[in-house]
Amino acid sequence: MITAVALCPAPPLLARELTGQAEILPDLRDACTVAVARLVAAAPDVIVVVGPGDLTATWDPAGQLDLTAFAPALARLPTPDALRGAITRARAAAPAGERLTLPLALGIGARLLDKAGYDGPRALWSIAGSAAAAECVRLGQDLAAPAERVALLVMGDGSARRSVSAPGYLDERAEPFDTEVERAVREGDMPALAALDPALAHELMVSGRPAWQVLAAALGDAGLGNTGLGNTGLGVSADDAPRVEILYSGAPFGVAYLVAALSA
Amino acid sequence: MDEDAVAGLDATPARTPGPLRLGRHVFPPEATLVMAIVNRTPDSFYLPGLTWDSGAAIERVHVVVAGGADILDIGGVPAKPGPEVTVAEEIRRVVPFIEAIRAAHPDLVISADTWRHETARAMCAAGADLINDTWSGWDPQLADVAAEFGAGIVCSHAGTLTPRTRPHRPAFDDVVADVLGRVLQLAERALKAGVDADRIVIDPAHDFGKNTWHSLEITRRLGALTATGWPVLVSASRKDFVGETLGVPVDDRLAGTLAVTAVGAWLGARIFRAHDVPETRQALDMVASIRGERPPARALRALA
Repeated sequence: MITAVALCPAPPLLARELTGQAEILPDLRDACTVAVARLVAAAPDVIVVVGPGDLTATWDPAGQLDLTAFAPALARLPTPDALRGAITRARAAAPAGERLTLPLALGIGARLLDKAGYDGPRALWSIAGSAAAAECVRLGQDLAAPAERVALLVMGDGSARRSVSAPGYLDERAEPFDTEVERAVREGDMPALAALDPALAHELMVSGRPAWQVLAAALGDAGLGNTGLGNTGLGVSADDAPRVEILYSGAPFGVAYLVAALSA
Repeated sequence: MDEDAVAGLDATPARTPGPLRLGRHVFPPEATLVMAIVNRTPDSFYLPGLTWDSGAAIERVHVVVAGGADILDIGGVPAKPGPEVTVAEEIRRVVPFIEAIRAAHPDLVISADTWRHETARAMCAAGADLINDTWSGWDPQLADVAAEFGAGIVCSHAGTLTPRTRPHRPAFDDVVADVLGRVLQLAERALKAGVDADRIVIDPAHDFGKNTWHSLEITRRLGALTATGWPVLVSASRKDFVGETLGVPVDDRLAGTLAVTAVGAWLGARIFRAHDVPETRQALDMVASIRGERPPARALRALA
């Protein structure tokens, strides 16, 4: 049963250590903090982080983002002791084949949970960036199936082609795409998320698409609620409709970031 | 050289640093060369359109040659994304210009900044001596063109980028190892294609497929590249990693660029691609004097 949902983007810049001396987009970081605090406040039995990766797989819950892949100097620059310790432990503890070094989206998600002080059970799932809708549906249904109270942290970004200075340059189709995603989230229109076109999303460099389709399947099946009653799905009736907060929506550097919290 | 500067070198064939041959010139290993940027574009990132007009462009050539340029790097397409520039348009922008330069400076080394073999062929036919392939062998026929004309080639690292795209969240286990792997692979490919070994240059390509941290790392560990024995090109002039490191816009990046230049020269790089030619020449001369390879221009202080 899904009891609460948070959507967050996963740009590397959310890791404060990577932006050097400058604080970049503190309002985005604050919005993510609020969204994750809502998840924790829902007192779930487990928080499941879902985000795009190269493959669909579950990852070691102790896994971490390897910041040195983005900033080699962090292996030498003064780093907060806690973080250095975590990196060292993750590396030392990682036998070959263990999935302790997380893909970006999961790593950012895990950091958000850490920062929120959450030390309860967590599970980490990557969904392949190329996953077809059916694969997303399977994972979403699996995540929603258990009787325990599951909170979902859904990681992923909108289009990286929102301006001429964007990573992927400007594509005029990008803004309507992102606007539609935001509308679907705001109105709890899960069928609209489920219907996003993977090919178009790929062209527009939208990393969040498969994770959002996992979310659509998870909610479509089990609904969102604390009681298990009234599991009629999102937005079917005003009584059952969850509270949706859009905490951040924008593309300040040409990549669309959406932060939202959904609660029953 | 510190230990981790050479990490990742185990599998690389060592090469004894030798002369660098460009056009009719032979440059010894200790020589540092300034490669002046002259863009035939309306929309490059620094001083856009400066040399878009053909009269201004040839005037700029005279200025940078007088300022100490050893090589001219001529390009007709900006690296950043933007309106498409066809092969025909690229050739129209650069080939008559190269012919004009050749007429005025018969011995000057001319570099062709292009990733497309059709353009490279036309530029070499017009007199270019070196193909500066910033996009890392995206067009494998570039090496064949270099071999065909007896020209040199720059073997660069651009991560997973295709031409005129921006990097998006690149991450490396070890960026220097990735760079070494790619540039040495391209150097091998060039040798097999028949390019003269004395005309092959390697370039880690700052900012290409890299974030600022990565570009700082390849600067710090440039010794790992120079240790391969291949001549190393540093192309850092006024780039974003300088701007982000210092928090300055493109107009204020000369000091940062010269710092990169000095460190690169200290670590053994041999070619420096630059917008600011006399300043770069001065920085390189200063480093050469610190190394003891160039006497001061005039040492009188406390000597009289």
